[in-house]
Amino acid sequence: MSLSRQRRFVTPGPDETVEALALRALPDQAVETAVDAIRSWNLHIFAMRKPAGLLLGSDVVFVEPPVS
Amino acid sequence: MFDLIVRDGLVVDGSGAKAFRGDVAVKDGKIVAVGQVSGDARRIIDAGGRVVAPGFIDPHTHFDVQLLWDGAARPALEHGVTCVVPGNCSLSLAPLKAGDRRQVVGMFQQIEEMPPEAFTQAFEWTWEDFAGYRAAIETGLSINVAPLVGHSVIRLWVMGPAAQQRAATPAEIVAMQDLLRECLAAGAVGLSTSFVDTDENGRPVPSRFAQFEELDALCAVLGEFDRMLQCVPEFYATDITIARIDQLAELSLKYGITTTFSPVFDNAGTPENVPRIMARVEEQFARGAKVWPQMQTRPLDLSFSFLRPSLYFARLPRWSRVLRQAPEIVLHALRDPETVAKMVADAGPDGGDKMLGRLICRGGDAAPAAMVGRTLRDIAAERGQGCAQALIDISLENGLDVAFLDADIGHDNTDRIGPMLAHPLVHIGASDGGAHLASFSTYGDTGYLFSEFVRKGGHMSLEQAVAKITGETADIWGLKDRGRLQAGLAADIVVFDPDTIAREAELPTFDMPGDGMRYVRAATGIDTVLVNGQVAYANGAYTEARSGVVCV
Amino acid sequence: MTPRADEAVIVAVDLVPGHDGTTELLVRLRHPNGAEGPVVLDEETGLRLMNNCGAASLGDLVGQSWRRIVEGS
Repeated sequence: MSLSRQRRFVTPGPDETVEALALRALPDQAVETAVDAIRSWNLHIFAMRKPAGLLLGSDVVFVEPPVS
Repeated sequence: MFDLIVRDGLVVDGSGAKAFRGDVAVKDGKIVAVGQVSGDARRIIDAGGRVVAPGFIDPHTHFDVQLLWDGAARPALEHGVTCVVPGNCSLSLAPLKAGDRRQVVGMFQQIEEMPPEAFTQAFEWTWEDFAGYRAAIETGLSINVAPLVGHSVIRLWVMGPAAQQRAATPAEIVAMQDLLRECLAAGAVGLSTSFVDTDENGRPVPSRFAQFEELDALCAVLGEFDRMLQCVPEFYATDITIARIDQLAELSLKYGITTTFSPVFDNAGTPENVPRIMARVEEQFARGAKVWPQMQTRPLDLSFSFLRPSLYFARLPRWSRVLRQAPEIVLHALRDPETVAKMVADAGPDGGDKMLGRLICRGGDAAPAAMVGRTLRDIAAERGQGCAQALIDISLENGLDVAFLDADIGHDNTDRIGPMLAHPLVHIGASDGGAHLASFSTYGDTGYLFSEFVRKGGHMSLEQAVAKITGETADIWGLKDRGRLQAGLAADIVVFDPDTIAREAELPTFDMPGDGMRYVRAATGIDTVLVNGQVAYANGAYTEARSGVVCV
Repeated sequence: MTPRADEAVIVAVDLVPGHDGTTELLVRLRHPNGAEGPVVLDEETGLRLMNNCGAASLGDLVGQSWRRIVEGS
């Protein structure tokens, strides 16, 4: 059985910043736009994490909005 | 001569096969015959009119600490549970260096809500390594234990404070692999990891600082031993759970290991959650991956007190505005008759009866003992008040420190959850026994399975329900000696009344070290529980038997 | 603060029980591509969102930008 399409994600590299991750995941966008998009798709990291904004190596970071 | 025969019961053997009337004979801690057994025994247990089943297995608990002074993991045993899996969610009490104890105690307190005395008065820290912890609990076990080793403590042992700060180096990952090998050789049933837990300061636990490569390397070791990986994913969105399922599936396929994740809930607000999760689980199983979702049987309850800001009243603007404030401001507002009159009016023309009457006064705090366990409707009537006014007054009279419970608020639709629990790829578990002590009871889920989904809902046959929490659980966890009534297997047996087995109401008790409080539920309908052939619980009382073992 | 047309907005809100007995906030966001997705906010984050929006009730959160959810985190 083949796998159905699901929302794409990446995991952060060691010490990777959200800016670096955003550029890696969304290379065609300006960094501010890409970071903004990443933040809006990943509220589990950017709204509820302590300390705020800490990226963890085990994180699932979505690189697209929910699949419609 | 047998040691014991359970005579003339309805034998439900844990395989899912049709029940039959017969006997189960036991010798030297093992089942030696099942069927029509002739011969004598030193002890006969009359099981006429009762079910004779394998002891239940609880695959998600946090009894790590309690087992050091309570080898029965009370009240798990009296509910028919003969084997518990502690060490979930990346946290175990070993391996743990003496200098790191304080840090791990903080994490345990966050999850278990256990009083500090539990860690300072109730036992002696005699171990650092996993074998030492095993030896420390083994001396007094009445229940069997299949312990997981926690990823967070493995990380802490190898990396020290850096475990909660950064990714591991290749050398550190190799050291973690060696340490995991040592733990598995010493009797760990597998490894647990967490993507969601925090310490007492809200900082992510060490396992969450691991790169996927680190988890991959540890799973390679699990593959060497054919052992289990347990994880707790984020609860926040179905998409995240599906991403975790895919990661677990990758590890399962790569190393031939079994994985499980928990919890999975069905709530009215997210009806698509479980169907989407199960669709992905089915896809991954079809590829050969083993990714078992654990689902609890019991509904979710909500609790609140006016002492702490809560969203509970977010649908009532005036209540919400007042109760979002700090306690001293709340007290001030609730002492203003005009404010209270408006709040009471907002609760409805019936004085809040429909909206609030079902709330149960929980106790365990400043609540007067006479109110504990009763509905607000009942208490309000006694006081000659409406429910809203009574709620406010009771809180005011007790410094706001009275907690109320709104029961069965989520994961509560029996007709949806019954078929989910019966799904062949759903692993019944996630009880969290031994955790959340001061928030709610985590005991009696097995009784609830029978009362709600076998007797009331009819979603499962008696045989299916027993198999779900015995034979199938043993198969998933690789507990080869447990889970079935079959000659040669360990004599873990429960004798129960199929017409009455259930959980009782949740009540506060003060039986934790330092008179610490926890919520528990007693069992109904459990007659006798045997652990490795010895009677550990009978006629409503625990025995002196200490026949539990660490089992893999 | 009016959300921009090109950013995710809250289109529905509900209360849901958390696994730990707390009341959590289920927020459904509509993204600029038209897709909608739910996110459950823990109690602390949910209370902060209500304060950020000056919301008296759940309905006041509908139409708010996703930015209000991360504000002050």
